Amino acid sequence: MPTTIPITPVRNKHAQHATISADSLRKLVDFENGSIDRRLYWDEEIYRLELERIFARTWLFVAHESQVANYGDFLTTFMGEDGVIVTRDQQGKVRVFLNSCTHRGNRICLAEAGNKRRFTCNYHGWTFDSAGSLVGLPQEELYNNTCRDFDKAQLGIRNARVESYKGLVFATFNEEAESLEQFLGDYRWYLDILLDNDPGGTEFLPGNIKSRMQCNWKYPSENFAGDSYHAAWTHNSGAVALFGRGVDNKYDQSKVYQANVNGHGWQFGLDFIGNAMVLGEQDILDYLKENEAKFAARLGKLRSRMIGSISSANLFPHTSFLPGQNTFRTWHPKGPSQIELHTWVLVNKSAPEALKEMYMKGVMRSFSPSGVLEMDDGDNWENATATNLGVVTRQQKLHYGLGMDSKVEHDELKGNVHIRKYNDSNQLAFYGKWLELMCDEGAGAS
Amino acid sequence: MKFVMGETPVLKKPVVPPHYPLAPMELVFEISQFLYREARILDEERYEEWLGMMTDDIHYWMPGIQARHRKDKTPRLDPKRMAFFDDDMLNMRRRVTRFMDPTAWAEDPPTRAVHVISNIEVELTDKPDEFRVYSTFINCRGRGEAEEFWLTGRRTDILRRGDDGVLRIASREIVTTQTVLLAKNLNVFL
Repeated sequence: MPTTIPITPVRNKHAQHATISADSLRKLVDFENGSIDRRLYWDEEIYRLELERIFARTWLFVAHESQVANYGDFLTTFMGEDGVIVTRDQQGKVRVFLNSCTHRGNRICLAEAGNKRRFTCNYHGWTFDSAGSLVGLPQEELYNNTCRDFDKAQLGIRNARVESYKGLVFATFNEEAESLEQFLGDYRWYLDILLDNDPGGTEFLPGNIKSRMQCNWKYPSENFAGDSYHAAWTHNSGAVALFGRGVDNKYDQSKVYQANVNGHGWQFGLDFIGNAMVLGEQDILDYLKENEAKFAARLGKLRSRMIGSISSANLFPHTSFLPGQNTFRTWHPKGPSQIELHTWVLVNKSAPEALKEMYMKGVMRSFSPSGVLEMDDGDNWENATATNLGVVTRQQKLHYGLGMDSKVEHDELKGNVHIRKYNDSNQLAFYGKWLELMCDEGAGAS
Repeated sequence: MKFVMGETPVLKKPVVPPHYPLAPMELVFEISQFLYREARILDEERYEEWLGMMTDDIHYWMPGIQARHRKDKTPRLDPKRMAFFDDDMLNMRRRVTRFMDPTAWAEDPPTRAVHVISNIEVELTDKPDEFRVYSTFINCRGRGEAEEFWLTGRRTDILRRGDDGVLRIASREIVTTQTVLLAKNLNVFL
């Protein structure tokens, strides 16, 4: 009789190289028939691969320039599950570097925002500047005497590449990544509706509401990319609260669209103020109407009609916003079934102060954890994630086939354009980009 | 170098806190009962009656909290920062309307909430009809089979006695312990 206890092999949960082949990944998304395997929403291996091949590979939104306007302004956030510090250095350049000491790995900044020009680790006192360079450590002479070739210059913190588009700061640890310009492509034409409808540009209002949801990060991302269909049903109670009546979901679909570029999605009508109405403030509607001609002169008639229209958008992979309602948010992944939601309020810098306060409160009342609209979303996404624990449940594929015939050519609208907002096309395009990155075994941040 | 075992110049010394005049026992009792009753009315989802416990000029505020360094000179609770609640009566009524709408899917079946109210302190103010009331709460929400969300915090209320003799909440400030709300939503009043 063997007396030793058999050792069960422990699965390495954080293996750097996942084992799912590109072929098996491709079987998970059926673009022709519009169906998706639920494995995308529960599988640990898929999640680890997403961290490597999506979050460590593509450009990620990390901050608005207004949040780090001055030397030393900083905030802490995440790129995938990598904690980072976003700050402005002495030369005025926005820096993004890992929030981890190069000595023992301790987190070097525990605050979520503020202003400081030095980040000193609490463990041994190693100190880094606003560029992530090691600039001091207690009793440095000990190293000079006892450690061969000690070089502070080699012990700085790893910086990400940083590029901006009209106030939005993006970063990536992937040296091979395309330029931000290429990553956004013609989506910039749409982003300008949000970021460039006024010569003064935009800013984030102060503060940052954060919350945790027990859902897969793709559910909220794909929802903002193109799920117009859920709005009338999920949010009926919020509409009753804000407008005194429910939503008519049988409205004319002949002049409403979905558009996508490189996996970034924007679904919209041309109704000008539908989303802004959610803020519940007549003054905001008046502001938009008063400036309608200016918007049209700047963006053209068509895009000016999209400024506050009933719409939603997701910038691949996980950054979402509601044009005109002006919530701006990222869904940070925290495992296959958890996210940390960070939200801000984006406004035109030149808007009157009183109006900015109305935007802030209007966003809070509609899309924040206590918001009459957001409250019902979280419940849906959590339950859509949790059901997949069932081994039989997870066998049934999900239906993404709405509007397969809706692709149109449009004289003005850029990217892949689909007529009718009640449509899965932007969501399928989101998964198209997802699959492309997931199947690419080439370089990322390594 | 010599270390001193015992008294040193840097050791902090006890300070007597300022004297707070005691509010009359009957008033403290009345206010405590008012807050307990309010908690029960909320737990029983009697939202319109809850609104009836507020003045028309209510300011209901739950600021967002940020983890900032002690050296940071910006206010810890800053009305200019984003909040969870920052509402007047019209907007409280909007929120209540959503809660009571039959299509508020996330409330059906109902979320089960308990508010435990404690540490009630009543302070008299310069105005004879207004009282500053401190209290703490523990709120637990149960939903579905196993969802449980705990939230605890401090409240500072101004209660005002109307001409009709009835106490009402004129303002409430709610400060919790979470910088990241550890729940998918805040479908509860605190």
